Amino acid sequence: TAMAARLLLRAARPLLAGAGRGTGLDTGLDTGLRTALSTAPPPEKKRWLRAYLELQRLQAPPQRRSEKPNWDYHAEIQAFSHRVQENFALDLLKTAFVNPCYIESEEARRRQLGLDKHAAALQLQDNSGLAERGLRFARAYLAQGFEGAYPELPAKGIEALVNFLTSRELVSYVAQNLSVQDLALCRDFPAPPDVLQRTFLAVIGALLESSGPERTGVFVRDFLIPQLIGKDLFEIWEVVNPMGLLLEELTKRNISAPEPRITRQLGVNTVLPVYFVGLYCDKKILAEGPGETLLAAEEEAARVALRKLYGYTENRRPWDYSKPKQGLAAEKAISSN
Amino acid sequence: RYVRQLQRLQLLFSPTAADARGARQFVEEAAQDFARQHPDVVLYVSPHSGPGPAPVLRAEYLNGTVREELIASKTSEEIVQLATKLANQSGLDIIRIRKPFHTDNPSVQGQWHPLTNKPSILTVQGPRLQPQ
Repeated sequence: TAMAARLLLRAARPLLAGAGRGTGLDTGLDTGLRTALSTAPPPEKKRWLRAYLELQRLQAPPQRRSEKPNWDYHAEIQAFSHRVQENFALDLLKTAFVNPCYIESEEARRRQLGLDKHAAALQLQDNSGLAERGLRFARAYLAQGFEGAYPELPAKGIEALVNFLTSRELVSYVAQNLSVQDLALCRDFPAPPDVLQRTFLAVIGALLESSGPERTGVFVRDFLIPQLIGKDLFEIWEVVNPMGLLLEELTKRNISAPEPRITRQLGVNTVLPVYFVGLYCDKKILAEGPGETLLAAEEEAARVALRKLYGYTENRRPWDYSKPKQGLAAEKAISSN
Repeated sequence: RYVRQLQRLQLLFSPTAADARGARQFVEEAAQDFARQHPDVVLYVSPHSGPGPAPVLRAEYLNGTVREELIASKTSEEIVQLATKLANQSGLDIIRIRKPFHTDNPSVQGQWHPLTNKPSILTVQGPRLQPQ
């Protein structure tokens, strides 16, 4: 009977402990026995328990959205295609989100779990083919767009612009803000930027296969070209010797070499002088640029002159986002690949 | 093009609690219409049985913000209005905006600096030549 009483006590104590907040443990053992056998009130959580659970929640490692509750992959993919306002062939889109590192890690995991090679082989396809096609199309379309909009810009400049728009940081930034990082299947979390870039280009490739070059061109234009807003040409295109480039451009147009003259100057004898150097061709002003020293001012004037010649000034006409009329441009992009 | 910033809405409510009555009516009547009108928002309905936390509508946005709105003791129409309000928002934090104006092109003709209207030192100014 003593043993039974002790067991009953042990069973009763956790029920009492919560209700009593630690004070009712020692007192009222007899009453505890009686209340344990009758209807016991539900144990309240201790005050420190909530703080402890909150600490656990904050210290937990970040998880993929697909591993948290409430996730439906098919619904999310459909929502993605509606969000972007494009009709995708859903199986192409699903292949576009599968990365090679995911396939390798899944096969390794399956082999570890004991399946042999035939059972371990996944039926999924990579997105590398789609990504390559998407990249080629995007580059060709952007290059064509720039050639049409800025006819004076040389090939190196267009290449620099296209490289910037398909660079890893920019494309992964666009992809993150379109929730591609939730849908992409890859090995590490959070997805590294090159994985996001590959996935986004594969999405472009999938769109190309499903809807054709016109709609894909409009898609590329709508999502990549606004990233150029507010950017200056020479932030994107590194030019080491602007004066030499300017001389080449002027000889192409049969204008004589520019003559630099100081136009204005301020604070010559101070720590922060400002010189405005103007470039004159045949005694007519071409461009004027400021700088701290005379050399810096001359270089800046050469850059301003190049911007004016290429038509990439700040007050140029904004990009044309109207609906395309015949889609000849996109077809040319495909044929020139 | 316009991309709706709301990614998904999660409706967490209890099938027996009294304050989740509006949520249950919303699920029975208006949730399907809402989902049809907003095809780019994924709507998850997860009833958790037994006494639990208050019914809540959790909205996740494309930039990662998660906003939870209590829907305890709200009617079905109010929940529909709340859901459309969340669907039309962006995920930016709702804090005080310091200035009610913003412009990406602060200057059209070039910003003024002290040398804007000063003539350059190269313009030669001399006495007017006498007509000969």
